[in-house]
Order: sequence, then C-alpha cells, then structure tokens
Amino acid sequence: MEVLRIRSLTFGRVLVPILLVAALAVIVTGCGSDDSSTELNGITRVPPAKTGNLSLPDYSPQSGGKKVAVRGNEDGLMLVYFGYTSCPDVCPTTLADLRNALAELDPAQRERVQVSMVTVDPDRDTGRVLNGYLAHFFEPGEYHSLRTTDQALLNRADEAFGASHKLGKPDADGNYDVSHTALLYAVDPKGTVEVEWPFGTDADVIADDLKTLLDNNSQNPDA
Amino acid sequence: MKKLVPLATVVLALGIFVAACGSDDSDSGSSGVEVTDVWARPTTPTADAGAIYMTINSKDGDSLTAAKVPSSIAGMTQIHETTTDGEATSSEDSMESGDSMSSDDSMGSDDSMDSDHSMEGGSMMGMKEVSQIDIPAGETVTLEPGGFHIMLLDLKGQIKAGDTIPVTLTFEKAGTVEVDATAQDQ
Repeated sequence: MEVLRIRSLTFGRVLVPILLVAALAVIVTGCGSDDSSTELNGITRVPPAKTGNLSLPDYSPQSGGKKVAVRGNEDGLMLVYFGYTSCPDVCPTTLADLRNALAELDPAQRERVQVSMVTVDPDRDTGRVLNGYLAHFFEPGEYHSLRTTDQALLNRADEAFGASHKLGKPDADGNYDVSHTALLYAVDPKGTVEVEWPFGTDADVIADDLKTLLDNNSQNPDA
Repeated sequence: MKKLVPLATVVLALGIFVAACGSDDSDSGSSGVEVTDVWARPTTPTADAGAIYMTINSKDGDSLTAAKVPSSIAGMTQIHETTTDGEATSSEDSMESGDSMSSDDSMGSDDSMDSDHSMEGGSMMGMKEVSQIDIPAGETVTLEPGGFHIMLLDLKGQIKAGDTIPVTLTFEKAGTVEVDATAQDQ
C-alpha cells in the first residue's frame, strides 16, 4: 500500500525517469549480452586452418606481381576464394554474393576487408584476365589477383585452406573442365581461417558474419 | 492544352502496350511447355563463358534436349549441370565433424587427424555437360546457379546488364520454343 501511494504521488517526476533509465539499461544489456552477435553463421573448424607464412604473387594493379601474405591487414580480414575465370556459374554467383555482402558494410568496415581470388587455372587466367574479372565485382585496391604457375606453391595454398582442385584432360578443342573447392574463407591478421562460407550462402549472412568478425578483431586486436 | 490530353492518353496507352509486351517473357502456346524467368548473368569484359537460367514447366512432361543462341553471341551452347564431388563430405558434415571434435576432449591424435583430412577433401564443385533435362508432367524445373544452366562458350562479347539474348530451346515433344533472356545481376 505504501508503494502504491508513493507511485501515485511521484509518478510524473520520479517514476518516469526511473522507467526510462531501466528501459535504457535493458536496451544496453540487451546489446551487450546478445550472444547471437558473436556467433558466426558460416562454418568454423576446430582447430581452424592456418595460412602460416603463405604468400602468393598478386597481379592486381597495385602489386604488379609482387607476393602478398595471405592474411588480413592489421585489424582487417582477407577473404579468399579459389576459382577460375572461365567458370560461368559457381564463381560469379559467389563473387556477386560477396559484392552484395560488402555493400552492406559501412565504409570504415569495408576498408578493413580485402578480397583475394586464387586462380586454380593459371594457364588461362593471366594476370590481366584475372584483374578484368575481379574489377567487375570489386573496387580498385580492394582485390588481389593471386596467381602462380608454380604447381607446388598452388598445392601448398590449397593445403593451407584444406581446399583442392582438379583440371580435366583437354578435349580436341583444348577445352578442359575445372573442379575446385567452392568455399569462401575469411582470414584474420594472424593467418587464422576464422570462418568459411559454402556456395549459396546469402549475402546478408556473409555480411552479418563479416560485421561480427570485424567487431571482434577491433575489440581485442591481440586475440 | 486540349490537344495534349489525347496525346498523353495515347502515350500512356502505348506505354501500357509496350510494357505488356515487355513483360511477356514466357512462351507457352499450345506446346504444353511454359518457359519463364529467363535470365543471363552479366559477364566480365574478359570472360569467354556465360550462363543462362530459366524456369520450365511442362503439363504433359517433356525434355529439354538442346539450346542455341545466335553465333554472334556465343560460338557454342551446351546444357550443363553443376556437380559437387564427395557428397558424403559436404560442408554440413564438415561442421558436424568439427563439433564432434571440439566436444571430444580425449586426446584424439591419429584418428582425429584422419577425419580432419577426409573432411578437407570434400565438396569440390565442377560442371558436366548433360544430354537433356527432364521435366516431369505437371512439374516445374528451375535452371539456377549451382544446378542446371545453359552454358555459353566462346563468347563473342561481354554480356551487359539489360542485354537481351534470343534463345532457341528444343524440346523432345514440344519442338522449338523461342525465348529471350534478359541479362541481370542477381
């Protein structure tokens, strides 16, 4: 009864601010304790794959064939995809999904993300071809055109990610089939593959994971 | 001003007429086969291959046996299916392996290394040419990314968003069906 009386007396001056503070607290703790925001939608492996000291020649305009480390910059991420440019279905679908996912990031987040495509068909995919292909999907300076004709090095790249690829026998016209692991990988600055997305993952889902990873990396850069 | 009104009406009517034509991307006719949502993915300037997708419905059941585009667009056209090797080690299985490994705290030395390796090898994607796509009676088959597509080889130029590509489809029973594919980003 005492409580009721107090409430009736002080509703306007005290209770409303209290309610506001309480509501705010709920909102704030709601954000902080939102476990779903730290869980990734893509595939996470235990233990995660590591790229170690892997570096590959980058034929993008900004690198011109110099080797780059296959890992994120500082507090960023490198997204890595193994594919080939004569691929009409799976590769452009994945890269278009990724393009749409990157468009969902704010400019500061997007600046921390680099995209690398490793060609599994270096004979047909020259640096120029690879650049033309990636420039169709991504901004200049945002992508790396990774290509090596050193089969041992390409195999080492495959192994680092647990990926594989296979080139078929050429037919009479010299055409051959290519099959490849069609996952998209996110690599942190320490070379840890934090998450991988299978073919067909929605752009929204990829964007959601990218935001989670970028948030985590900026909160604990040493993690 | 008076003259403008009928003119506007005509323009409007024409607009509706044109729009009606434009949206008619299906070709059903009396063939019993209905083809809708025909689209092509825009290609990069240097690409030599492209893909066309569509939805096919057949009242009585039919098979798509061939597809052709003008030789000014592509030198060769094939019906393709995207395939995934090692279905048993698909990505979902990999995830399960990962989970079971994390919950298995006993020092899983050699065994876990083996399962790790087998899970890494799976889910390579590739393509193969198929001789036909069967459309069962009363059913709809969608040619879509990761499944069936009409593969364009030896492209003569870049396919740009908004381009229209005439496609001649050949069905076992319905014969020839002409459709237009619109290039659009999806």
